[in-house]
Amino acid sequence: MAEMRSPAGSAKTDAMPSPPADPPEGQWTRRWIILSFWAIIVCFGLPHWLMTTSTYRASLPLDAMNSWAREDQICGTTDALALQESRDNSKAFKYSSTYHLTFSLFTPAAIPSDWDIDQALAQYIRPLIRALSNVSDFTVETQVQLHASFSPSIAGPQFDHSNREWQLQKSDLRGFINAAEWPLSPSIGAGPTINFVLYVPTEGQKPLVIAEANRATSWLIPQWGGVAILNTLAKQSTKLTAAELELAMLTFTEQLATLIGLPSNSGSLDEQVLRLKQNRAVSLIRSTSSTLDTVAHAVQETLSRLEQACDAFRSDDWDSALQHARIGNDEIETAFFEPSMVGQVYFPDEHKVAVYVPLLGPMAVPLIMAAIKEIRTWRQRRKAKTT
Amino acid sequence: MKLTHLLALPASLLALLTPTLAGPEYNEHLHLLPLSNDYLYAGFNFTSTTSLSAYESHHYRYFPRSLGQILQYTHTSELHLRFALGRWDDESWGARPRDGGREGGTGVELWAWIDRDGGGEKVEERWGDLVNSLSGLFCASLNFIDGTKTVRPVLSFESEGSSRGSDGVGQQLLHGTLPNEVVCTENLTPFLKLLPCKGKAGISSLLDGHKVFDANWQTMSIDVRPICPSSATNTDDECMLEIQQTVDVVLDIERSMRPRDDPIPRPRPIEEIECDETKHYNGPDSCYPKRKEGAMGWSLSKIFGTPVLGSCHLAEDDAHENVDITLEVPSTRVVETSALQLSSPVVDAQNTDIRHFKLQEGIHRTDLTLPYQPNVASTLRSQPPLYATRQITGHGQERGGMHTLLHNPHPYPQTIIYLETLPWFLRPYMHTLKISHKSSSKTVELEKMFYTPAIDRKRATKLEVQFTVPASTTLELTYDFEKAVLRYTEYPPDANRGFDIAAAVIRVLPQSQTAAQSQAQSGAAGSGCKGRGSYLRTTSLLLPLPTPDFSMPYNVIILTSTVIALGFGSIFNLVVRRFVLVGEVPRGPLHAVVARVRELVGKVRGGKMGKAGDVGGDLGGADEDSGSGGKDTGVSTGKSGGISDPVMGSGSDKVD
Repeated sequence: MAEMRSPAGSAKTDAMPSPPADPPEGQWTRRWIILSFWAIIVCFGLPHWLMTTSTYRASLPLDAMNSWAREDQICGTTDALALQESRDNSKAFKYSSTYHLTFSLFTPAAIPSDWDIDQALAQYIRPLIRALSNVSDFTVETQVQLHASFSPSIAGPQFDHSNREWQLQKSDLRGFINAAEWPLSPSIGAGPTINFVLYVPTEGQKPLVIAEANRATSWLIPQWGGVAILNTLAKQSTKLTAAELELAMLTFTEQLATLIGLPSNSGSLDEQVLRLKQNRAVSLIRSTSSTLDTVAHAVQETLSRLEQACDAFRSDDWDSALQHARIGNDEIETAFFEPSMVGQVYFPDEHKVAVYVPLLGPMAVPLIMAAIKEIRTWRQRRKAKTT
Repeated sequence: MKLTHLLALPASLLALLTPTLAGPEYNEHLHLLPLSNDYLYAGFNFTSTTSLSAYESHHYRYFPRSLGQILQYTHTSELHLRFALGRWDDESWGARPRDGGREGGTGVELWAWIDRDGGGEKVEERWGDLVNSLSGLFCASLNFIDGTKTVRPVLSFESEGSSRGSDGVGQQLLHGTLPNEVVCTENLTPFLKLLPCKGKAGISSLLDGHKVFDANWQTMSIDVRPICPSSATNTDDECMLEIQQTVDVVLDIERSMRPRDDPIPRPRPIEEIECDETKHYNGPDSCYPKRKEGAMGWSLSKIFGTPVLGSCHLAEDDAHENVDITLEVPSTRVVETSALQLSSPVVDAQNTDIRHFKLQEGIHRTDLTLPYQPNVASTLRSQPPLYATRQITGHGQERGGMHTLLHNPHPYPQTIIYLETLPWFLRPYMHTLKISHKSSSKTVELEKMFYTPAIDRKRATKLEVQFTVPASTTLELTYDFEKAVLRYTEYPPDANRGFDIAAAVIRVLPQSQTAAQSQAQSGAAGSGCKGRGSYLRTTSLLLPLPTPDFSMPYNVIILTSTVIALGFGSIFNLVVRRFVLVGEVPRGPLHAVVARVRELVGKVRGGKMGKAGDVGGDLGGADEDSGSGGKDTGVSTGKSGGISDPVMGSGSDKVD
């Protein structure tokens, strides 16, 4: 507004038009105006915009979490590591407070359609489950599946004339479980499902053994379960008796011990269970504290549980150590899968910018142009002054 | 009458079995019935049972484990799940199979009795778990059955099971519908996996998604119910849990028999078509196909694309009458079966039109062929208990009306229960609810009414009314409603298609003793009603809601942004710019170019004017004017020039 001062008459008389001189106070007013606009935008506008359009992120007790997440220490004592013997125990399941055991009878024909599983379980599996009841809870389900066919991706059993037996190639063991067709879906509820598959071949494919494996009929699938083939001697009836199931059940017991992570080389069952408890407590504290790294919620609860677990750990109270470590682990797992954490994690900045471009674009043009022009005239004037 | 006998057959078979239920049982049954106009009804029925004690200790044999663990986890004692597609044409096909008791409204329908212990919230939670688990098991969007699609009917459904003692007191019935779900092959595959023979042996081997979902009408059902022997007779007998799976289809025989390698229907060459020579335009090049006489020939393998593979006889003792296939055609119709494949037909004692077959053990491929037969007396179809149609009336975006026609074709009055689940965005005006005679508009009194109003975004409207449809009358049930406006994000991607309104469920109550007698005397078609009566469902409806222009928010953003930016721009320029007179503006490099162009334009115009002659002088003056006006464009203190302001224009006027 300050610039409307050129005399109206002068333009008519002048042959060569030239603008009237720009008084320095006018220049300075203009500069101040442009500067203050920019100052408001940079210091107030942009931060406000970024703040109001960003997604909420919770703050975390990062220091405490990081100190727990240190790889080389457990409960501040490095020698506790010695307890955790074979860390490459990759066959066993990750620890869980509940395991679901599913025993399935698969047969490609319509018989046998029944098995005396209740008695067999009571005889062979239940004692082990009872011994482990301090470590984890177990639920047991059984099912019978008829007309179960192999997946087309495996070659299937081949007849070996010299031994008069059907042989399953070792390469086929990987695809033996027909995941697409066989209903081996995990059980509902928290905790992994351990599957035990008893496969009864048809009358025409007996005996079925694994090739080059000393007539073995069972194998273990790491972190999934176990498979056993049952070649009954007698002519097949509709029902398998508990006696016929004995061999398979012993195999399953052994497989279950391995899958749970029961140490195999030490003495009695009680000693083994104690070792298992120690191992589990150590590995739980370790895994929980490493998961802490990435998790926001339930952190306080987990931290206190970890403290308690460590207290018990130092005083060799294994039951209580495992108990606290269990709760801590469950807490942190639920926190990790908390749906509110997953939903808004990805909100791209491009979207935000795209929505605001119609406002910011037209506003930015005069601001930038005015700034550029002012800088240019300032430079020219300085040049003129120096020369 | 014949039809109803037969449609009730699976139930009667069950009734035969019930006293001998000792161990787990499985049986399957296929019912074939040609309908008028070359349609074929095929009703598959698979029933397995397990003892309740085995079920509770998680030992599954014929009862599917995947379903069993869901039911146990969610404390569901009785479950009914329906997948349906198409419409049963009761005008030409007659009464519905199984009295409509194994049928659902278009889409998915689910109702279940859930244990109430732990309070109402617990029931809600279990219902949520149930729909989510079933959603995963059947690859259907059942998880969308939330509070807004769930109602608690009082009269419409009765527990089919008989649990010992409690008798349904401790259970809550919840009913949910999903009318916009399209049932397809991915739902059939898990359905078949629940069967002990998994569609690989026995009649279930006929079930192929391509054929089942090509049907004119199709419904799949799963019903789980506990059966306990009545405590009065025998308390030692164990309780059983029964799962009944059915697939009912109505296939167009001609369409289904199209060969697989040439599935596209093509016009046959004219030589092969039998022409109706009575038509006046009949000639060597024009032909009106003659209506086919007699019954069309068909065979199982041609209709279903595969013969029956093997058999699935799993019962412990095969002594009882295990019928695999029942065929209901007039006794004069020839049926070809090789004796090796099927047992010789057992003709039903009461009805000679019914033939029972049994699959032979150890036979791999079984087929049943009915050749073309020109002269076959058509079987008499029994009338359905009630005809029902429902429409949306009215126009405009704001209001509408619901209009249901209920026609009782029988010479006796029938009491019905009418259940509607309405989404919250359809708001019925209950004071306009009226049931009247169509002809005389005389109103009919409601006998009972259960109504739960909707809560926006939380609960659906439940309307459950009981009234009597007089003999041979048509009643009209009408009410007006208002359409709510949804929030922007609540519209589905295909918002302009409309919103599906679930089918109304109509339960025709069983006749009282006297009515049944009069019916027997009059010799009318039997209603076949058992304890629960028969069910029918209307078609689902499409409700058009006012839909916004979905680009609107962005348009609003752009418009307001532009207005703000314009205001900001002009104020900013006003503050920052220097204002000078036109004459004082230094000539930039652009000025010379503009002057040159203007000169050229003037020359061209002048040349034209010269040719035109008399008008030239006037326009010369105009040229000058435009020249002076044009100076405006050159006026700007800066070279940015784009946003030139009107103030300068007024300045230039002064100069002139």
